[in-house]
Amino acid sequence: MLEINKYKSDILSDITFSLDDENLIILGQNGAGKSTLAKVLSNLIQNDNVKLFGENLHDLSDKKRAEYINYIPPKLSIFDEYITLREFLELSCIDQVDNKKIDELIDILNLRKLENKYCKAFSSGEKQLLLLASSILHNAKITIFDELTANLDITRLKEVFDIFNSAFLKQKIIITHNLDLAYALKFKILYLKDGKIEFLGKHEEFFCNKNLKKFYNDSILKINEHLVVNL
Amino acid sequence: MKLGLYIFSIIILIISPFLGEISINLNELFDSSTITYKVFWDLRVSRVLLAFFVGGILALSGLVFQIIFKNALITPYTLGIASGTTLFTAVSIVFFPAMILSISSAFGSLVTITILYYISKNINKNTIAVSTNSILLIGIALSYFYSSALMLVFYMSNLEQNYSIVRFTLGSLDTVGFTSPFIIFIMAVIMYITIYTNRSKIKLLLISNDTAFLKGLSVHKLNLLLLIVISICVGVSISFVGPIGFIGLVVPHIIKLIYKKSADQLILPVFFYGGVFLVISDLISRNLNTASSLPIGVVTAFIGAPFFVYLLIKRNKRS
Repeated sequence: MLEINKYKSDILSDITFSLDDENLIILGQNGAGKSTLAKVLSNLIQNDNVKLFGENLHDLSDKKRAEYINYIPPKLSIFDEYITLREFLELSCIDQVDNKKIDELIDILNLRKLENKYCKAFSSGEKQLLLLASSILHNAKITIFDELTANLDITRLKEVFDIFNSAFLKQKIIITHNLDLAYALKFKILYLKDGKIEFLGKHEEFFCNKNLKKFYNDSILKINEHLVVNL
Repeated sequence: MKLGLYIFSIIILIISPFLGEISINLNELFDSSTITYKVFWDLRVSRVLLAFFVGGILALSGLVFQIIFKNALITPYTLGIASGTTLFTAVSIVFFPAMILSISSAFGSLVTITILYYISKNINKNTIAVSTNSILLIGIALSYFYSSALMLVFYMSNLEQNYSIVRFTLGSLDTVGFTSPFIIFIMAVIMYITIYTNRSKIKLLLISNDTAFLKGLSVHKLNLLLLIVISICVGVSISFVGPIGFIGLVVPHIIKLIYKKSADQLILPVFFYGGVFLVISDLISRNLNTASSLPIGVVTAFIGAPFFVYLLIKRNKRS
């Protein structure tokens, strides 16, 4: 249960919507305000307009808030040079460190050889897998992913898709530019343009040729149930 | 390298009270009627202890400030805390001679950090992240302001006061008896325990303030606690020994380069080697056969700066 009521700022104008327990995909051009919206929803940008499970986000205790919502940034930024992958994953658990689960995830995501390496030296793709693992360990009731798939190769993308599509995480809000991913996941769609909600509704409604033309001009078409980019 | 360095440091700590202008006759070491006894215990041992704990406090304060403000250049000195402390001390020398210097120093340090923290919070309204560049710039601006104010205090002081302020700013580890080392020891213990008991929270800050916040840490509360405790301890240290620069910057970086571990695991080594660094600097300043011992701040910068540059170059070559 997530509600946002009349949130306004320089970037976003009058954002109001609510979600039950369904997953959501947020689409929109660069600069539309997608990341800002995510930060508002997770209270990284402090505000009074968001309610989670009936409680005002601003009034929640720090611990409770962490249990309710988590935001995964597009890039992993770590201040300390000498934090290893394993240490990072240990820090991702908000309660007790669950070593069994950490080992399991390291194997699932094929990260064993990086276990004791410093995170700062990882490639962008590896960092994104690390963020994904961290979100699973954190296991908030709602997790917001901001462009998690941007630097992944096709096989890795498929792995991430499978995880998004599984019950590994509870409720997900996924910000992406990857329409193939958005199309395949079949989640509810929210389309932002210039800080306003232009579309909020079912997946089938969004991915029809009329709406694709409206939001993406002629650059994308649906042919035989597949999206085709027209460059 | 770690073990060698450790053994070397222990040896330095043990022999340093024996070295100095007056040579120590080992037979008279425990005979309280001799001059040797007084020189060794009341002057040398107390001085080494004072240097060790001050060095530890300064090094550890650098490490934690860098974590809080997410900038490798930040220390109590680059933020203007040392100049704030110096100004308040000078003011109290000139205008409130009856005041205990430690109190005005600690006050100066606290005032400075409070100004810095609240300005930086206002710049980054509604967000958790702090803009480290603006903090550094405000720190520099504050330092200039404080130096001008210090000039004004100089201008208004008489010759004798003038001299005490200059001696204070040069920094000195001169001490007689164990009162000063004991007070600084208490400060070091308070600071060390505060940092050590919060080390798992500090580890979250090592990633980023945003991440720490999302994991359920009250970032502002922790930052404020650490800043207040450290500012008081640094302020009191400065009131005893004057502003000694460079330790907070150099020692944490050297220890990181040697240990290659995340900062939360380096609390003890940074404290220990910070202490050792100041003891060695003091040893050099006392034994250069100059007419009087060199100001300690001069020595720390003279050894610290080249060694720091050497380590940075060496590291960049390797990577």
